[in-house]
Amino acid sequence: MSDGEAVRRVLAGEVECLRVLVQRYTQEFGRLAEALVGDADAAEDALQEAFISAYERLGSCRDPDRFGGWFYRIVANKCLDAKRRKKLLPLEDTEVASRETADGPVREAEVDQLFQGALAELTPEQREAFVMREVDGRSYEEMAVLMDTGVDALKMRVHRARDALKKRLRDVL
Amino acid sequence: MTEFRDDDAGSEALRSLAERQRARLRGPQPGFEDRVMARMREARAPKRAPLLWIMSPSAVRVRPVWIPLAAAALLVVWLAGSRYGARSGSGAAPAAAAVAAVPGARSDTVYVRFEFVAPGVQDVRLAGDFTGWRPDKVALERQAGNVWVATVPLAVGEHRYQFVVDGKWLPDPRAQAVDDEFGGHNSVIVIGPNGQVRS
Repeated sequence: MSDGEAVRRVLAGEVECLRVLVQRYTQEFGRLAEALVGDADAAEDALQEAFISAYERLGSCRDPDRFGGWFYRIVANKCLDAKRRKKLLPLEDTEVASRETADGPVREAEVDQLFQGALAELTPEQREAFVMREVDGRSYEEMAVLMDTGVDALKMRVHRARDALKKRLRDVL
Repeated sequence: MTEFRDDDAGSEALRSLAERQRARLRGPQPGFEDRVMARMREARAPKRAPLLWIMSPSAVRVRPVWIPLAAAALLVVWLAGSRYGARSGSGAAPAAAAVAAVPGARSDTVYVRFEFVAPGVQDVRLAGDFTGWRPDKVALERQAGNVWVATVPLAVGEHRYQFVVDGKWLPDPRAQAVDDEFGGHNSVIVIGPNGQVRS
C-alpha cells in the first residue's frame, strides 16, 4: 500500500491503515531520531509523539503521496524539542574532564561523550545535516528531498559542521 | 556542483566517530509499533480541512459504464436548475412553466415535457390545439416543490396551448404569447423537424 493510499484510507476512517505508515517510518526514521536526539529512550518518545501529532494533523497533509517528507519535518521538530529538554553535559565540563585524563589513554566512551557534546553545540540545521549524512549515511539527494533544501546548501552545512566539530574536538581527534 | 574537500586526518577521525555512533544506534525497541498504534486509537481522529480536500490531487476511480449515466443525470439537474432559476423571481403566483423535448417513438412526434409551478393549487391541466382545447385530456402530476408535470406527444409544427389551474385558464408565463381572440392569450410552442422545441 502506498503512502498516499494509506493516508487517504486513514482519513476515511480506517485507523488500522496507520500501521503501514508506522512500520514504514519507524524503520526509516527510528535510528535517525536516535542520532538526532543522542538518547535512545528520548528519541523513541519523540518518534511516538511525532506519529501521534502526524495522525491528529493528517488532514493538513497537502500531498498524501509525499507523506514521508511531511512527516520528517514533524519528526525533526520533535527531536529538536527532545534535544532541548535533554540535559546534556555542557561541553566546557567535558573538556575539563578530557584534560584531566590527558596523561593517560582517553577512553573511547569519553571521546564519544565529547563528540555528543560537540554535536549539541552545532546549530540545529548543521547538526541535522551532519547527522543525516555522516551518522545515518544518507545521500545528499535523499537529504534534499526530506529537508526540502538544495544539495549545495546541504553540502555547505555539512562542511561547516565538520569544521566546527574539528575545532571543538581538536584535542582528541 | 559544489565540492567541499574534507580529506584531512581530522575529517577522517570525525568520520570514524560518526561511524562508531551509527554502530551503537539500536532504534526503537520491540513493541514500539503496537504502543504507537494503541496511542493512535486513543488520539483525536483527524479531520480533513475542506479546502485542502478540494485542492488536493486525488485519484478517482470510476466504472466507465457510469460516465454516460452521470452525464445524463447532470444534464437533467442542469435543466431543472435552469428552470428553477428562471422561476425564482415570481413569488407565490403560478410562476413558470417549461417545456423540454423527450425522444419520441416516431420521427414526426416529439414527447414534450410541460412544467408549471403553482403553489397552493389543487388541479392543473393542459389544453391546446393538440387536445381539441379540451381540458380533461391531460392532467399534470404534482411533484416536489409545487411543480406540476406532464409529458405529451406532439407532432412537428406549431402548437398553441394554455394551462387550466383550478378551472382558470392561464398562459404559460415562460412561453411566447399570442391573442386567443377571446380577450386572453395562448402560449405558443414550435416543434422542429429534429425535435427542437421553441416556446
